[in-house]
Amino acid sequence: MSLHIVSKSPFSSTALSDCLDAFAEGDALLLIEDGVYALSGRMSERPAVQPVYCLAADAAARGLQIPDSVTAVDDAGWVALCAEHNPVVSWFK
Amino acid sequence: MTKRILALCRQAPYGNALAREGLEAVLAAAAMDQVADLLFCGDGVFQLLPEQSPAGIGQKSLQRNLQALPLFGVEQAYVCTKSLAQRGLDLEALSQGQLPLVPVDDSAALIATYDSVLSF
Amino acid sequence: MMQSIQVEGREVPLDKEGFLRDLQDWTPAVAEQLARAEDIQLTEAHWEIIELLQQFYREFELSPAMRPLVKYIGQHLGADKGRSIYLMQLFPPSPAKIGSKIAGLPKPTNCL
Repeated sequence: MSLHIVSKSPFSSTALSDCLDAFAEGDALLLIEDGVYALSGRMSERPAVQPVYCLAADAAARGLQIPDSVTAVDDAGWVALCAEHNPVVSWFK
Repeated sequence: MTKRILALCRQAPYGNALAREGLEAVLAAAAMDQVADLLFCGDGVFQLLPEQSPAGIGQKSLQRNLQALPLFGVEQAYVCTKSLAQRGLDLEALSQGQLPLVPVDDSAALIATYDSVLSF
Repeated sequence: MMQSIQVEGREVPLDKEGFLRDLQDWTPAVAEQLARAEDIQLTEAHWEIIELLQQFYREFELSPAMRPLVKYIGQHLGADKGRSIYLMQLFPPSPAKIGSKIAGLPKPTNCL
């Protein structure tokens, strides 16, 4: 099961939509840096996939609330997710 | 006559340095009596979200920095309403601070009124 | 080489222009010593400006350049004090820079 990490805003990059096209049942999605702006639009109410994690410091920095459907993680949580999943896929561009 | 300058603020605040560079350029220009106008569009509208707390990622709050603009002679800022709508935001969702925000429906028409446009 | 000053038995590191490296190090005693290095004897008039510089920094997370500082002081202390000449007398020769330094703020980036 893969962990997909997205670091770009879904409004200015295709990273998230490309990732979702490659998302399989049992995978997990982690939003970091500008990737957390996915929480700002429609996705915040009903995520396209499950489970979705979000780096709490990056959301707080940008003034975004983390909805109940998304799990907030800190750096240790991020490392744990990387350890639990294989492979880890970066969608950084 | 003084040239009219518009700073186009297109980037979200912390993922890269452009948003901050744009603000620095506007502040530097203002210090030299060249007051630029600002138009927030695209992901740049995210610079205006309230309650940004970037201490956890080791950065200064750009939203707070922007509130200082009136002291530098920049009395207001324009916001592209189309960009807001695309992101599920409206003007009320943005920071109601000391920098008054003016909604703009037709960015092209606004941009056309300037002598120089700096894109950040 | 790293510079520092000794204040009340504590070593306080400075950058090469004499600004505090860590804002947390600031105390009124540190301000007194930074002011002495600029040949300034702090009075009541200086302290009210120092407090407003720190308030400016808390509000905007920026050190003010000259013009915004003058405007900000004018808004809070009235037009008599919101003048470059007044601030120039207190913190010569560059009030935004010298005042920020004594108040423990980072160097103003737009200080020309």
